[in-house]
Amino acid sequence: MNAVEVSELTVRFDSFTAVDRITFAVGVGEIFGFLGANGAGKTTTIRVLTGLLSPTEGRVRVAGRSFADGARTIKSRVGYMSQRFTLYDDLTVSENLAFTSGLRKIPPAVSAERIQRLLRFVGFNHSPSALVRDLPGGLKQDVSLVAALLHDPDIVFLDEPTAGVSPAARSKFWALIRGLAREGKTIFVTTHHMDEAEECGRIALMRAGRIIALDSPAELKAQSFPDPLLEIEWTAGAPAGWRESLLERGAASVVPYGLHHHVMVNNRAAWDRFVGEHTGRLTVRTIAPSLEDVFIRLVEGADR
Amino acid sequence: MNPALLAFLKKEFIQALRDKRMRLILFVVPVVQMMVFGLALSNEIKNVRLAVQAVPNDRLAHKIGERAAESGWFHLVPADDAEPFELIRTGRADAVLVAPPGGLTRALARQSGEAQVLVDATNAIKARVIENYLNAVLYRVLRDENPTRAPEAAVTFDVRVLYNPTLETSAYLVPGVMGLILCLVTILLSSMSMAREREMGTFETLIAAPVAPWELFLGKTMPFMILGLADVPLMIALGVGGFHVPLRGPLWALFLAAAVFVGTTVFIGTLISTFAKNQQQAMMGSFLFLFPAILLSGVMAPLENIPAAVVPLSWLNPLRFFVSLTRQVMLKGTIGPFYWTNLAALGLLGAAAATASVQRFRRTL
Amino acid sequence: MSGEARRFILGRALSIARKEVRHLSRDRVTLAMALGVPVGLVILFGYVLDYDVKRVGLLVIDRDQTRVSRSLVDVFAAADYFSPLALPPGATPLGRLEEGRAKAVLFIEPGFARATAKAQPARAQIVIDGSDNQTTSVIASYLSGLQNAASRSLVPDTGPPQARLRTRFLFNPELNSRWFVVTGLFVVVLGMVSVLLTALTVAREWETGSMERLLSTPVRPLEIIIGKLAPYMALCLGAVGLTYGAARLWFGIPFNGSHGTFLLACVLFLTCTLAQGLLISVVTRQQQLAMQFSNLTGLLPATLLSGFVFPIESMPVFFRYLTVLLPARWFVVACRGIFLKGAGIADLALPLGALAVLGVGLVALAVKKFKTDVEP
Repeated sequence: MNAVEVSELTVRFDSFTAVDRITFAVGVGEIFGFLGANGAGKTTTIRVLTGLLSPTEGRVRVAGRSFADGARTIKSRVGYMSQRFTLYDDLTVSENLAFTSGLRKIPPAVSAERIQRLLRFVGFNHSPSALVRDLPGGLKQDVSLVAALLHDPDIVFLDEPTAGVSPAARSKFWALIRGLAREGKTIFVTTHHMDEAEECGRIALMRAGRIIALDSPAELKAQSFPDPLLEIEWTAGAPAGWRESLLERGAASVVPYGLHHHVMVNNRAAWDRFVGEHTGRLTVRTIAPSLEDVFIRLVEGADR
Repeated sequence: MNPALLAFLKKEFIQALRDKRMRLILFVVPVVQMMVFGLALSNEIKNVRLAVQAVPNDRLAHKIGERAAESGWFHLVPADDAEPFELIRTGRADAVLVAPPGGLTRALARQSGEAQVLVDATNAIKARVIENYLNAVLYRVLRDENPTRAPEAAVTFDVRVLYNPTLETSAYLVPGVMGLILCLVTILLSSMSMAREREMGTFETLIAAPVAPWELFLGKTMPFMILGLADVPLMIALGVGGFHVPLRGPLWALFLAAAVFVGTTVFIGTLISTFAKNQQQAMMGSFLFLFPAILLSGVMAPLENIPAAVVPLSWLNPLRFFVSLTRQVMLKGTIGPFYWTNLAALGLLGAAAATASVQRFRRTL
Repeated sequence: MSGEARRFILGRALSIARKEVRHLSRDRVTLAMALGVPVGLVILFGYVLDYDVKRVGLLVIDRDQTRVSRSLVDVFAAADYFSPLALPPGATPLGRLEEGRAKAVLFIEPGFARATAKAQPARAQIVIDGSDNQTTSVIASYLSGLQNAASRSLVPDTGPPQARLRTRFLFNPELNSRWFVVTGLFVVVLGMVSVLLTALTVAREWETGSMERLLSTPVRPLEIIIGKLAPYMALCLGAVGLTYGAARLWFGIPFNGSHGTFLLACVLFLTCTLAQGLLISVVTRQQQLAMQFSNLTGLLPATLLSGFVFPIESMPVFFRYLTVLLPARWFVVACRGIFLKGAGIADLALPLGALAVLGVGLVALAVKKFKTDVEP
């Protein structure tokens, strides 16, 4: 059985359609990534899956429960770490966690043991009686994760968990996420960072309320780039109008990438002629496409 | 006890009591304010500045002035030779007694004495009282002057004032001020509560948890009721111990009224809170409730005079009922139909506020 | 300070003010609060607060039951202050008082008419509910007037009094309590709203961190304070205009003074209250605390200790001196003086001077508190 099953889910606010007939499933123990620009419908989908928002249409099953069983039965089975900072910064770490366990009606003995274990798990080495206000950003994030895990949920929803956190803290946080997945928990995560998306088992790309692609990162790359992806650099100045002529002659796309350009070739013979014409002024390397390339391509494809 | 409610109680208490300035606001400011208002405020008009303008040998006119000063209501200010109108306009005197030309003493000998009194009527209430004071002084002077032909009135009234025979201001004001302060504290606490959670983002924590709306609602109201009620014994002790306000009725009646009142104000505060998008709006909302509530409470002005069109507005004011109840219990002491109807009205208001805020609460969840 | 440097300061204060105006013009809620609330509250409560006690419920127990005793009751009924009530069967007079069904009881014992016929003093007993002594003292003062009226109408041959006081009420000859209420209410409402406005907006800037940003620029505290005060001053003066219009046109309150003096008094008073709000927000730096402080320190003292209703002269000496620190207390004097008495600047030297001193003091305090925040 899947951890999350969504079919034909639609959410409308008045006349605005935030989520438009999306269908997907997430398997147990999977790390499922949810990508897309702001306003693409990621957070709205998560709010439905965590029981905060009722779907307008469509069917949703989370941890074997549906909205027909009541939003609260869903809430009790999932952990949710919101995009917004949701700890009380005028309470201490342990007061915050005590409040959350009270709210979730975890017996005191159980919660004390779990708080201990989870704080050790996230490597929290600060004093639990420190005010949350005084903690550095990464540590706040760790405590938020502990709060989301207190009731031992089967599925954990993380909505941009690493926004505004240092790179070191980010990689540590992802180590924790992988650890959770190994324990058999299903992780549902949204992110803006492409390197984080690479860590996911599968990713879904949302755009304007719809899912425009859904697969593992490797498979997405293979599908989006059947032809090789080349990185070119003009060593002796670029001739005027080269991009236009290249696009006419045999490249599917030319995307600037820092000082370089990424070129996707679809006509090998034409490309070879182009390189021949500019020998000595051009260096060419074959590269593996990054997820970012994939998304630029997918989004352009969806726009067309 | 329900663990979610217990968690809320702990959390709200910690948040309200950790900050030293909040503790000050909750427990010190109410007591200090009650002391200041209890000591300072008085309805009695005293220290009226009276000038007597009469020729030096006008014995009777000056005697009225002396008697007025002796009465304790007035003190004399020199009239100089200024125009009486100017004395009042410039604020040097509140009232000027102007003897008739030739003097009041001579006029009285001709049986037709009439003196003019100019009174500053910028304060209309005070002006009327000054007039009555001066007439009483004149009556006494005439009786002393002429014991045989005392201007005895044909009809006399024996006036007895019940419950507060010495017209002690604090006895009637302190129960009212208690209500004002209690209202202020509870409204301020509860109107911010939800607005703050929403602004800080912690609202998400609350709604992501599998708690029932009623648990959330009680969790966000009960702590403030308890904090508000904690002020009640403090204020009663100060009123009875410090200001010697009588407590003629039973204590339970006072606490029952306070409990219903605090419940009502907390529900109203929560209702304000559900409408507010941020703390600033919550604050403006609570000001817009508090200011009319205070003016319509019966502490600032008699309730009997409210124009008919506004009377229904005063029925929406929990403070009005609570002030009536505290005065009833403390000064009159009888727990009869008056007590129960006022309490029922307060309870009804509380129930309506609770229903409305639960409705709004559900919609915002 | 050289003229050039002074211009420099004004320029920066002006740019802060311009930013503030831009914020304000988008913030409809605050605009409505600043402009609409004062005039609305003054109109509403100008009607509601009425100190002329009328139609007091008077329970009549007439055990004499004669023509004379009935005409005594008529004297009460004719006075408009009282509305006579009969005792319902089964009720007791004191019970009615306790329940609040009547405010006073008039007992006329048998023999009342006989006494008047024999030219002896006839006595009637009046019992008043003293639990609200504001009403009580007014009722008591009505009674002494009624006693004379009753004597003259019941026993017509009572000789004329030997000496009489003829009272002229200056500045409010009809003793219309509305004139006194509206001029005081104006002060209290304006004072509260202006404190709230600045207290909150600046506290919000602390919370969102935009104040830190402002402080990190080379702007001086005084410039910030002036730049913050000026737009709110303008906004509040707008509210003054509206409220003034309501007082004149709606309530027909006379305005005997000069508008220049009035404007000066308003500017001085608003400087005090706006600076007070600023000070609160600088000290608390948190919206919740700022609000609680300004409501707690503003609402009750301004309404109770300003002389708006409760006379300052009747307070114990210590508190009379304490009110010196309340800007509202001085502005009440100035307002009533300008509106009703036509007082000029010279007449109001004390209240206006006090307002100026308080205003400068509060601004200086806010600047100083600001400075200690900026310079560690």
